[in-house]
Amino acid sequence: MALSLRQYFMKQSSSAPLAVFRIAFGLMLCISILRFWLNNWIEELYIKPHIFFSYYGFDWIKPIGTSTYLLFFICGLSALLVAMGWKYRISIITLFLSFTYIELMDKTTYLNHYYFVSLTCLVMIFLPANVCFSADAWKNREILADKVPAWTVDILKLLLATVYIYAGLAKLNSDWLLNAMPLKFWLPTKNDLPVIGPLLSTAWIPYVFSWFGAAYDLTIVFFLSYRKTRLFAYVTVIVFHGLTALLFQIGMFPYVMIVATLIFFSADFHQKLINKIGKMLKLGHSFTAPNKSFNYTPATNRVILTIFSVLIVVQLLVPFRYLLYPGELFWTEEGYRFSWRVMLMEKNGYATFYVHDSASDKKVIVNNYEFLTPLQEKMMSTQTDMILQYAHFLKNHYVALGFKNPKVFADVFVTLNGRKNAQFIDPHVDLATQEDSFKHKNWILPFNDTIKGF
Amino acid sequence: MVCLIMLSIYACSKKDNSEPVDLNPSFDRKALLTNLADNIIIPSYAGFKIKLDLMVSKCDAFTAAPTVTSLADFRTAWVDAYKEWQKIEMIDVGPSQAQTIRSFFNIYPTNVEAINANIANGTINFDLPVTYSQQGFPALDYLINGLAGSDADIVAFYTTASDAAKRIAYLKKLTAQMNVIFNKVYTPWTTGYRDEFIRKSGTDASSSLAVLLNGYILNYERYVRSGKIGIPSGIMGSTLITPSPEKIEAYYKKDLSKDLALIAQQAVLDFYRGKAFNSSTTGPSIKSYFAALNTKDNNGKLLADVLDEQFVKALAKLNDLSPYFMQQIQTDRTKMTITFDEMQLAVRYMKLDMTSAMGIVITYTDNDGD
Repeated sequence: MALSLRQYFMKQSSSAPLAVFRIAFGLMLCISILRFWLNNWIEELYIKPHIFFSYYGFDWIKPIGTSTYLLFFICGLSALLVAMGWKYRISIITLFLSFTYIELMDKTTYLNHYYFVSLTCLVMIFLPANVCFSADAWKNREILADKVPAWTVDILKLLLATVYIYAGLAKLNSDWLLNAMPLKFWLPTKNDLPVIGPLLSTAWIPYVFSWFGAAYDLTIVFFLSYRKTRLFAYVTVIVFHGLTALLFQIGMFPYVMIVATLIFFSADFHQKLINKIGKMLKLGHSFTAPNKSFNYTPATNRVILTIFSVLIVVQLLVPFRYLLYPGELFWTEEGYRFSWRVMLMEKNGYATFYVHDSASDKKVIVNNYEFLTPLQEKMMSTQTDMILQYAHFLKNHYVALGFKNPKVFADVFVTLNGRKNAQFIDPHVDLATQEDSFKHKNWILPFNDTIKGF
Repeated sequence: MVCLIMLSIYACSKKDNSEPVDLNPSFDRKALLTNLADNIIIPSYAGFKIKLDLMVSKCDAFTAAPTVTSLADFRTAWVDAYKEWQKIEMIDVGPSQAQTIRSFFNIYPTNVEAINANIANGTINFDLPVTYSQQGFPALDYLINGLAGSDADIVAFYTTASDAAKRIAYLKKLTAQMNVIFNKVYTPWTTGYRDEFIRKSGTDASSSLAVLLNGYILNYERYVRSGKIGIPSGIMGSTLITPSPEKIEAYYKKDLSKDLALIAQQAVLDFYRGKAFNSSTTGPSIKSYFAALNTKDNNGKLLADVLDEQFVKALAKLNDLSPYFMQQIQTDRTKMTITFDEMQLAVRYMKLDMTSAMGIVITYTDNDGD
């Protein structure tokens, strides 16, 4: 075992998959940034709001006003440079930092696929993704190589595998499998689509989608890894993500996954792809097939492998941290983020905040829209850490308005996957006195139902 | 392994944990949108146009010859148009949304200081957001009801006052602006937007129904519940000095605030029920769509009916209030609070139960989810 593991880490494989991944991923990100910009979301999400919900421990990451446009420009540009492989190391580090900074500014916009992008960028910082078919290698033929350590390609596969398999595991619950929720809610809303529209309001199709979705997520990487099933699996990838793009508003994610999963194809496939592009650009055979190996120095090798090992262990454990919290995960959402739980819930909340003046015993009801964007209000109303952050903001705001030691209470009602709305947090707890932490928030009211499974 | 897990989940799960959800496959959203457009929205706009045109002509008559009589005529036409406005304020989709018509018609409290400065300067650009509170019905309220205690004294501001000509010019500009903005909304509805409205029959964030309902709920939450009741009575807001009566709708007319609130609440209910503007017939409606989705409360009652009853309750509480909210706030504020609470509950049913059942996202940012 030890020997075979050592052998594995000595194994070399083609550098072409890394190059294709780098180009496709960089271009996708660049398009995403451009799309974000053109949709005017920079303004809507990062400039207009009065307050921002920072992540616990990351409140030093502040929104930067109109300079946010510059930040997005840098991010988009570095994505393009990564695709080109020009000043790769600097570009990918810049991409990782700028993208992650953007995501950390406001958790309102948290999406699993943004987290996936950040993680992938982080990993790519350490990969020799510029030794093949890159501007760097074009300028400096010394670094050109067509062989790289096999694990540098496999780490990306592993990353994708965790995303899919954890997303699949998360679907193994009674709401998803037995009640076909929330698909039973979502699919009929698209029943005016041509051809498939009428199907979407049938009673059985949400079950088919739910079970197929779970099976897909759990098994797709295995079918992609096995040569004989690969082509069939990839067609499934396209159909599955194509359908999700059609049915749900999930932006670029389906397309990112469609190109990212190309990494599972053979070295031969990628080499052919590169040869073809090389021929089109008239780059010459010696550039696309240099017949050289890339190796890290033993010390670098050790460092990178250590970093990756830690990363993988963390990746494997983090989605299970919810087990450390009491209560239903879908209800409390304690340990919900960063766990590849995608599209699992139709959750809606309505939160009314009351601020009591301790000196006069008077109270006012807060106009949430004075302070929050509709998106922020929607997200805040179902997530306890955001409720708490908002309550603290209100306390400070009303202190500035002359309230003496204000107490902040909230009536929050939440519906989850079609259940009737229920009170979400204890309305008698003064939220101004509660502090955020990784501990369980004991002012979350119990969920009066059970959801079995992961 | 996977199958085992699935089986074990199946085995240990109780039957029916959640509310049963039967989605009625046959509900035709195009028919719903058609009814809303043809029988409610466009006729309401047509109805408002008549009242607005009348108001503009009465304004012209008054400005041509300001007398106590022409002032009274103008005022009556203003009241009628203001009441009719309450029926269209909730429509915030397509050209109505693009023009942000509310901003030009009904932002109150009106900014008296700025209005007087505008009159003195003789220049005003009504398209600037900062001027929203210097135009529309609330500005007219001040200019025809709030300048003085008696009508004769008000008329004097338009006849003998040194800046009378400037004030007359402002008045004319005000009504002209309302006319321009309204036509920018009404014309597209009658010339092509109607078909687009009906065509976008999905429920994604850019669909007609999603935008319409977002606007409808926002209007009820912010401009009926908070604007008419919560804020002026001091139930909501930023100050400890509780009531802010200057924030009452039609503050200078005094006895109109309750009427306007009642009409707005009734319009919200009628719209919900899909009641035609010109008759008592009802067609496919938000309510019938909600009912077709078959979501029920704990007592097995359709939430579509629960919400209807909640609107009716709010209407009844509103009816209990004094015609002049200022009086109500000063004599018995709890009645305002009771009304507010009923409205609050209606907001909750709409924002939570109704939109969830319909799969409609409450947000105005067309952003990605996952």
